[in-house]
Amino acid sequence: MIARSTHRFATVGVVGGALLLLALLALPVGVLVIRGGVEGLRQLGGDPELRASLALTAVTATAATLVTILLGTPLAYLLARDRMPLGSFVGALVELPLLIPHPVAGIALLLAFGRASPAGEALARFGLGIVGSPLGISLAMLFVAAPLYVSAARESIARVDRRYEDVARTLGDSPWRAVRRVTLPLAGRGLFAAAIVMWARAVSEFGAIVILTYNPKVASVLSYDRFTAFGLDSALPVAAVLVLLAIVPLLVLRSLRANTGAIERAT
Amino acid sequence: MIALEKLASRAGSFTLHDVTITLPRGAWGIVLGPAGAGKTTMLETIAGIRAATSGRVMLRGVDVTSHSPEARRVGMVYQHGYLFPHLTVEDNVAYGADPKAAREMAERFGADAFAGRSVTSLSGGERQIIALARALAPAPDILLLDEPFAALDTRRRVRVRAELRRLQRERGMTVLHVTHDFVEAGTLGDLAMVLDGGRLSQVGTPDAIFRRPASGAVADFLGAENVYSGRIARAASDDDIATLTFFGDGLTLVGVGDHPGGAGHAVVRGEDVVLARQHPSPSCARNVLEGRIIEVAPNGVLARVTIAVGTSTLVAIVTQESATTLGLAAGAPVVASIKATAVHLC
Repeated sequence: MIARSTHRFATVGVVGGALLLLALLALPVGVLVIRGGVEGLRQLGGDPELRASLALTAVTATAATLVTILLGTPLAYLLARDRMPLGSFVGALVELPLLIPHPVAGIALLLAFGRASPAGEALARFGLGIVGSPLGISLAMLFVAAPLYVSAARESIARVDRRYEDVARTLGDSPWRAVRRVTLPLAGRGLFAAAIVMWARAVSEFGAIVILTYNPKVASVLSYDRFTAFGLDSALPVAAVLVLLAIVPLLVLRSLRANTGAIERAT
Repeated sequence: MIALEKLASRAGSFTLHDVTITLPRGAWGIVLGPAGAGKTTMLETIAGIRAATSGRVMLRGVDVTSHSPEARRVGMVYQHGYLFPHLTVEDNVAYGADPKAAREMAERFGADAFAGRSVTSLSGGERQIIALARALAPAPDILLLDEPFAALDTRRRVRVRAELRRLQRERGMTVLHVTHDFVEAGTLGDLAMVLDGGRLSQVGTPDAIFRRPASGAVADFLGAENVYSGRIARAASDDDIATLTFFGDGLTLVGVGDHPGGAGHAVVRGEDVVLARQHPSPSCARNVLEGRIIEVAPNGVLARVTIAVGTSTLVAIVTQESATTLGLAAGAPVVASIKATAVHLC
């Protein structure tokens, strides 16, 4: 009798806790979309600043993601296959930006690549500056979001049994050719999912970007700017559009995970 | 030709130690050993997939120890096939070869029957056939097989094995083949080797290994029905071969061999034990043991008879017909005769 009532109490506790957490996650987003969603979508047609801001966000996030795919995939491969010297240390180093408060990340980037730094001076000689430029926005996005890509890509590559590569080598492939013909196609969905996660994270970045580049404004900065300058009602449509746009990568991710699971079960 | 000279390599915490063998060109070598003996590690080290920590790998008379797998030009088939799941059956077979050679090899092994099917929909046996065709399509002159027929049904196994044997003879291919199938080892192997705990325990013809295992552990692994441990006494003899007497496990057995005496094992194959219901007339059998039948287990046309002899047991393999004629049944007294030459002491 006591055991049954304890079991019932535990069940109510678990379900109640789960519902409470769901409410905490869904309520703010739901309210935001309900209050600002329609107006936000309407403003997309008649607000050039919002459209420019969204375009800038998409372009800089895409650029940061493409650069990370190019540079991060080899790194993820080396980490996944334990071929990186000091692999554990490098792995931890890659994940470090995830733990740094994002404004602090912005300050660190400013110190490293600002006009007063040697790297900043070198970039300035080529007409490239990171303060107040799309380049700075992309750099901030890359710094905070690339660790997500590298970690997910590493896991995705590690899931591909290395014996596939070994077999390809015995069939005449060089190491790089075996990776290109076997490992990358098999890890492809996982790598694409990693890129989507990174892109979505880059789009939502605010803290590091606002330190480096307040203008031109990406969507998150525009939302903040309108909130501080004109109040909640002005910020709502922009914020709501950002939330609605976040649903797109979320749906892509869900679909990819379902397909990846089916393939992994089959192999 | 495959020659390994004091080859050592590592796979995680497992170490392969000082393996030295020579497999002549065109020979079929069989690798036997319990799970975790280092058989796959050895094949991978020969293929260059795994680096040698010491020693040398010689292929075709050339030291390839530092060569990459692609430079060694060795075909390799794993038990699980490792077909590329993102490619079609045809593309798998043609992965390392031109399409014409791939088509020919697919037809030869019946892999063309699976054309158009997704690799992930194939059974284990079908995957093995395609993996074999894929490894053979580039026409390697050295082939490494890691239990390649394990998932095939009996009919297919016989057909594929025969076809591979034909191809091996046509091409003069050198084959090193890991298997747990002793029939396969006996019918295919020109040379057999037993690996245990990362060390080579014995090398010889399959017949020699099965008839005269180098140790009790090898005999046990090879499925010898009667393996006893004890002490061996050697009769005085100027010759290498002497009469030996084994004392152990409650048995005394007389054998002949070159054992120096001391601790050792006696191995008797079940088919070398002759059973009678009464003491037989005097014969050349030096070992005549009285016992009582514990169990008669039918196995196809044969029967496995387990007999209590003193404090030990002895297993005899007889035909079902003999078992019926002699009236062998649990509890019945029986006399077992074994020639000294059938008692292997090691």
